[in-house]
Amino acid sequence: MPRVQKKGTVMSNQPFPVSVAPAVAIALASLLVSVQVAGQDAARGAGPRRPPVAGCPSVSRDFFPCAKVKAAAFKPPRNPDGTPNMNGAWNPSTANGSQNIEDYPGDQFLGAQVSLIVDPPDGKVPYLPQYANKRQDNWDHYIDPLGTCYVTGVPRQVFAPRGIAIIQAPNVFAFVGEFAHQYRAIPTDNSPHIGNSIRLFMGDSRGHWEGNTLVVDTTNLNDLTWLSISGHFHSDALHVTERFTLVDADTILYETTLVDPKVFRQPWTMAMPLVRFEKGHEVWEEPCFESDHDLPIMLQDHKIWLGLDPPQ
Amino acid sequence: MKQLSVGALLLALIAWPVSAQTPAAARPAVPRTSDGKPDLNGVWQALTTADWDLQDHAARLGVPAGQGVVEGGEIPYKPAALAQKQENFKKRATADPEAKCFLLGVPRTMYAPYPFQIVQSPAYIAIFSEYAHTTRSVFMNSEHPPGPITWFMGDSRGRWEGDTLVVDVKYFTDQTWLDRAGDFHGEDLHVVERYTLVTPDHIQYEATLEDPQVFTRPWKINLVLYRRKERNVRVLEYECYAYAEEEQARRGELGPK
Repeated sequence: MPRVQKKGTVMSNQPFPVSVAPAVAIALASLLVSVQVAGQDAARGAGPRRPPVAGCPSVSRDFFPCAKVKAAAFKPPRNPDGTPNMNGAWNPSTANGSQNIEDYPGDQFLGAQVSLIVDPPDGKVPYLPQYANKRQDNWDHYIDPLGTCYVTGVPRQVFAPRGIAIIQAPNVFAFVGEFAHQYRAIPTDNSPHIGNSIRLFMGDSRGHWEGNTLVVDTTNLNDLTWLSISGHFHSDALHVTERFTLVDADTILYETTLVDPKVFRQPWTMAMPLVRFEKGHEVWEEPCFESDHDLPIMLQDHKIWLGLDPPQ
Repeated sequence: MKQLSVGALLLALIAWPVSAQTPAAARPAVPRTSDGKPDLNGVWQALTTADWDLQDHAARLGVPAGQGVVEGGEIPYKPAALAQKQENFKKRATADPEAKCFLLGVPRTMYAPYPFQIVQSPAYIAIFSEYAHTTRSVFMNSEHPPGPITWFMGDSRGRWEGDTLVVDVKYFTDQTWLDRAGDFHGEDLHVVERYTLVTPDHIQYEATLEDPQVFTRPWKINLVLYRRKERNVRVLEYECYAYAEEEQARRGELGPK
């Protein structure tokens, strides 16, 4: 099954002890093709070119304001409890498997990327001065925690490789992410966060509806996850707010604001479309760790990420 | 009392279909989803010792005594498979997939000593375990994909038979066990699970296991899943292999020399 490796894009990890169904092989091949095509476009200086999404340009800085306007006018289908119906399988197609979140021209290791960041307007993560070179250091010396099959963390779950399924029940909004089979079950019943001393890879998420928008507040995160393969990072002070709004029947506007005073100068926001997969698409199981045979190779020149203050 | 009477009133107002075995008068009211199915949403956990040993077992160091959950008492192994089980038992400290932090498979995930959450929608029922962020996706009223495929958690397809959720699971690996005592299965394992909400807070859980390579006949386990009722309870994380790697890395045992 596919794996994200250090110094690699989404790639096939052959030792997975299964006979992979043809459908999976085809899906994987198409994913690789889309990544490569994006890279070729970017090499011509235009950045990845993609068709419009929901009648809006697909790149984040243009999609965001356009989708906001369209979402305000859209009357979403509803669940029996009256909440907008977002059940289904969703593809964060412009995130390219969370290889990068800033502008990137593409190279032999990572595909091209147009920044997912809509605020600040320069499209860059506003790191504090002391961390100006930390992302590069991470890339040079550490393995992306996804490469060791750890769960994605938040908000990366939503734009990690392979997409997510949304399952809604009264007072619960749940995600299943295919990559390394992670999940979040988010109470939407006004219940309080758990105790501050409990630190979790996926944090403690609590949701509420503001009109047709699901707003998710996530605290209790640890610092053992990254935001991209390229090494964007956060501390255990990270506080994430996410907003999910249907733009049309097959598109969600996803916005996420990250606050982390230990690492960032200011709050910053990513936005991107989540596009409904074709009818019948199922998010399947990927037992990542169980078939992880490449860790010893990665460990020859890269370290396990142990957070911002690893033992010396 | 107030809650009870409201529940009784609802039951009286709405004539829900009832199964043939149990007279309506004897059935406690169970919560229902908007499509009229028993509402399995919530956090659940088994309280048996089945994860230590599916069959009757006395206590030993680190193992609570327990009455078995296998109908008829004995797992009907073929002779060679019984020898394998005994070999597994001897090597269990390291050979148990749980000791390696692997996914536990089905049905073991359902009686492992960790809570799990069920999120139920008409088309898709998700089961999320605290152990190693295990997810099960039960796709309703749909067919298994064409094989061959093998998965640690198998491929789960659900349907309602009256008030019982029936889940058909196949396409397994042979790398999961059924408990810490070395009970095991092969790739041909076929599991049929039956979830029946017998009170608002109890699910009667039955699973039939069939694997002609390992067992002489299909056999059943039967146990109760209990609703976790603590205030604001949620499924937390037991990220087994991440903790193991983190420990090793902190000790300097993982990484460039």
